[in-house]
Amino acid sequence: MTQTGFSRAAEAVIAPDVEQAGAPQQPGQGRLISWRQRRRENSMLDSDRSIISTAERRQPRVRRTLRGVHVFLFVSLVVVGLGPLLWLAKSAVTPTQDTLQHPFALWPNGIDWANLSQAWNDVEIDKYFLNTVIIAAGAWVFQLLVATTGAYTLSILRPRYAGLINALVLATLFIPAVVLLVPLYLTVVSPPLLGRDYSMLNNYLAVWLPMAANAFNILLVKRFFDNLPRDVIEAARTDGAGPFRLFWSVVLPMSKPILGVVSVFAIIAAWKDFLWPMLVLPDPARQPLSVRLPAVQSQTELDVFLAALAIATVIPVVMFLLFQRVFLRSAGLGGAVKG
Amino acid sequence: MATQPDVDAPRQVPVRERRASNPVTWVRSGGLTKLLFALPLIFVFTIFSWLPIARSVIMSFQKTNLITSQWVGLDNFVAVLRDPLLGTAIANTGYFALLALVMGFPIPIIMAVLMSEVRRGKGLYSALAYLPVVIPPVVAVLLWKVFYDASPQGVFNTLLGYVGIPPQPFLQSQTQAMPALVIEATWAAAGGSIIIYLAALLIVPPELYDAAEVDGAGIWRKIWHVTLPQMRGVIFVMLILQVLATAQVFLEPYLFTGGGPVHATTTILLLIYNYAFKNSLGGNYGMATALSVMLAIFLALLSWVYFRLTNRWSTS
Amino acid sequence: MRSIGRKTAIAGVTLAAGALLLTACSSDDGNNASPGADGSGKKVELRVATFPPGADKAAYDAFAVQEKQFEDANPDIDVIGVEYEWTGPTFAVQLAGGSLPDVFTVPFTDTKTLLENGQLMDVTQEMKDLGYADKFNPIILDGVTGTDGNVYGFPRQAYAMALHYNRNLFEQAGLDPNSPPTTWDEVRADAKAIAEKTGKAGYAQMAINNTGGWQLTATTVAHGGRTQIDNGDGTYTETINNPGTKAALQFLHDVRWEDNSFGSKFDLDWGTINQEFAAGNIGMYTSGSDVYTALVRDFGMDPAQYGMTVVPMDGEDPGTLGGGDVAVISPTIDDATKAAAVKWIDWYYMQKLMNEDAAVTDAKALSDAGQAVGTPVLPVLSKDLYEQSLTWIAPYINVPLDQMKPFTDHIWEQTPVGEPKGKTQEIYALLDPVVQAVLTDQNADIDALLNQANSDAQALLDQ
Repeated sequence: MTQTGFSRAAEAVIAPDVEQAGAPQQPGQGRLISWRQRRRENSMLDSDRSIISTAERRQPRVRRTLRGVHVFLFVSLVVVGLGPLLWLAKSAVTPTQDTLQHPFALWPNGIDWANLSQAWNDVEIDKYFLNTVIIAAGAWVFQLLVATTGAYTLSILRPRYAGLINALVLATLFIPAVVLLVPLYLTVVSPPLLGRDYSMLNNYLAVWLPMAANAFNILLVKRFFDNLPRDVIEAARTDGAGPFRLFWSVVLPMSKPILGVVSVFAIIAAWKDFLWPMLVLPDPARQPLSVRLPAVQSQTELDVFLAALAIATVIPVVMFLLFQRVFLRSAGLGGAVKG
Repeated sequence: MATQPDVDAPRQVPVRERRASNPVTWVRSGGLTKLLFALPLIFVFTIFSWLPIARSVIMSFQKTNLITSQWVGLDNFVAVLRDPLLGTAIANTGYFALLALVMGFPIPIIMAVLMSEVRRGKGLYSALAYLPVVIPPVVAVLLWKVFYDASPQGVFNTLLGYVGIPPQPFLQSQTQAMPALVIEATWAAAGGSIIIYLAALLIVPPELYDAAEVDGAGIWRKIWHVTLPQMRGVIFVMLILQVLATAQVFLEPYLFTGGGPVHATTTILLLIYNYAFKNSLGGNYGMATALSVMLAIFLALLSWVYFRLTNRWSTS
Repeated sequence: MRSIGRKTAIAGVTLAAGALLLTACSSDDGNNASPGADGSGKKVELRVATFPPGADKAAYDAFAVQEKQFEDANPDIDVIGVEYEWTGPTFAVQLAGGSLPDVFTVPFTDTKTLLENGQLMDVTQEMKDLGYADKFNPIILDGVTGTDGNVYGFPRQAYAMALHYNRNLFEQAGLDPNSPPTTWDEVRADAKAIAEKTGKAGYAQMAINNTGGWQLTATTVAHGGRTQIDNGDGTYTETINNPGTKAALQFLHDVRWEDNSFGSKFDLDWGTINQEFAAGNIGMYTSGSDVYTALVRDFGMDPAQYGMTVVPMDGEDPGTLGGGDVAVISPTIDDATKAAAVKWIDWYYMQKLMNEDAAVTDAKALSDAGQAVGTPVLPVLSKDLYEQSLTWIAPYINVPLDQMKPFTDHIWEQTPVGEPKGKTQEIYALLDPVVQAVLTDQNADIDALLNQANSDAQALLDQ
């Protein structure tokens, strides 16, 4: 499959969701189709035929196999997907000795709720939790800012140098992140033109800004902007909208789905980040959970440590459960659009 | 699908965007505005992407100690190639990638196919499958480190004990350490792949299945002759993406074993990290960048060859 | 049509202002080294190293008390405590970037490299002015003396290697906690007893993050071997493959594979072995003699279970590996801060070693905050002064000295041996896999491993 061929396939994957939600019913209006409506549309897709035809489904053998598949899927996904989390939740409130000696027993000596408060207070999870939130928030802001303005320039404004920038941005997609590690670190330690006295170490900008230099985001948003109906934009322009107004009142409202995707990516990436924050945030007071937890492991008792791990997991899991659709759609988009 | 604007065709140039021949008309014609919009991207990419990339290449030919640097030609590359650990790191990284392919590639496809067939519950299954992906990787690794405790009362050893298998050393063994890492890495990443494959399965044109059934194909043959070929594009891309990702694995070796025991889990990224950051008195940044550049070139070549090959397969 | 120019201008200004604002706000409390005040009556800001991250709150309480005492005595100095840990990439960058605390500590083994790189401040004159330049143990002072004969730091504490053991596990295994093993054979036998009767690891040893090489060197020295010879002319010769190292590794092999009393964790480093020991999972292990403080403060150990004795000696010319750290000053600070730094070092680190009042004040502050007082150390000054200082603070000593008697009684009989000076940390890193190999591969060829390590280390030294 050629590059363009794959892109077409990728667009086809994005298309059902993005097109329906992105293409407004009327020009100038960017109202999102309600998620309920989209759910109905998708379940219609579900009942579209899949590999097994309706005729085949009537066969008793197929029906039995399908039921077996159901059971298998359920058991395996619960055990493998949910199991470790359930164990973590249980052990977070179990005393160390019980976890060590009887890892699967259900609280033989009672529940130890103190683990949680100890994790929150002594290990100061709340402080690191806050740091993680701050990092995620800043990452979200900066990535959205760079991605939207950049894609707007490349896709809609199209100055003379757009082609060059586009090529340069695309080129970075093919360069593995490892190449950046050392020089980026030195850049943070000694920023160009400013020198070592203005080192960005322990400054959250050192985490936010490199994350914003994300070619994938730019690509994603640019493609979306490319697919926006040109007539709407032209109409707005003829109505006298300048570039700012066009951006703010026309393009952005129409782009809510892709902005949602970029936001999810940005926040998840920021939440998960480990190596980079570890390098550029040496001050423990500014470190996020992902950097802190391994560092305090040897000084923390197992039960309190597990409680800390559990607390660190709660927010991402809860957010996922609440915003499942957005997560899963982004996941589907993410891989398919690469290339 | 909305019609795609043909972005390569010459556009009608509205009056306002005519080339500016001097700064005043440039500003008047909106040049400054466009620059302002482009500025965040240009600023961020220049300082945190393009310049560092260039600097990386330059540094690989220098010896630097954070204050001064001097040109040393190919010395860094030679030193890296002479390092006895390099061979180990390459072998380990290859081993990790191979195990990850064998363990982690077929499973998501199979699961996605199974999941696409069940009428109800797809949402629940998708959510369950994606759950491990949502957990921050550091938490997942630390949790699995507890699971892999080698004492007889360790979590996994207890489970093994229920079926009569003696306690295993897992991370404490030179032979089991790498597979143990791969299992956790697969667990953490499979959900994402499953979702992507599910999306890909959705777009298989149903007419193809109808046509296949008319030809008398049963379920297996439909999967083999319709589903998989239709997913070929996605599968190919996922394959190279996985290889590229596993070639740069860092977190699991670093947090699980620190590269041990006896360098059994030292990967190329870990080697680069150690060159640059392990020595508390100052690292060897020249060797680190040299190895990163070599790795990047290798991966770029690999991707290029891969895409040429898959092009040929796809169009055959 | 609206004027584009105006909107552009507004947007441009907002963008620029926002960017500047963000930068300003975020780097507000950064760790950038700020030169001290200009001495015009303003307070001199002095940033001093305190404890590694994760240390107990009580430790900080004690520090706060002492900080106040110092500031009361020196109203023109504002002491700012900074969390500090001598590890990892951050130290290198902070070192190069000048953002380390103004006063910090480094181990003896690092002073040589730091000296060569000009990263330590010359304190010869200050030490003379303080009057105790000649009070230091000359061997120890040599570690901080540059080739120019100048002194670059204040050795503040030293330790020897000790064998730490868990009294409770000893009792449970039917051993007498007041008669810990005195030979390596006894160590092995006791370890076996503990493993059999309690199921816990009888003897364990560090193996990763350079601590494997460190402890292997220590046990080598205890078996009479030396891993490196100082040729006296700036070069070194590796002698890793010697009978002492072989004996040390053979011991590990036997404990692990033949007696099965090593337990199931072979990837321990300084922190995790302390954690395991404090949790009661290890019967015996070797580490610095001053680790009791950390065990109680950071790892939650119950003092009653702690016992300490000397590392058994074996072979010709055995010794105990010693180490320690030095209080040094960052070379990039100005004179006013330097003067303040010297005052702090003198007050916080040095005075309590030689002055009764200072020792008592220090001991009282620590003991009030529940911190360990009286952990046995090796004297950086003289042995007599050390023993005298112990009598001064006798009423405040809260560590179980009688449980440490086997160590304090016999340590003076052992020869202190300094850590190898040439590429110390790198060679320790080379030795880590040797220890790991012996522990994870029953058929590890000790000779081959040592030969390989020797040639690799020599190659490093000859670079």
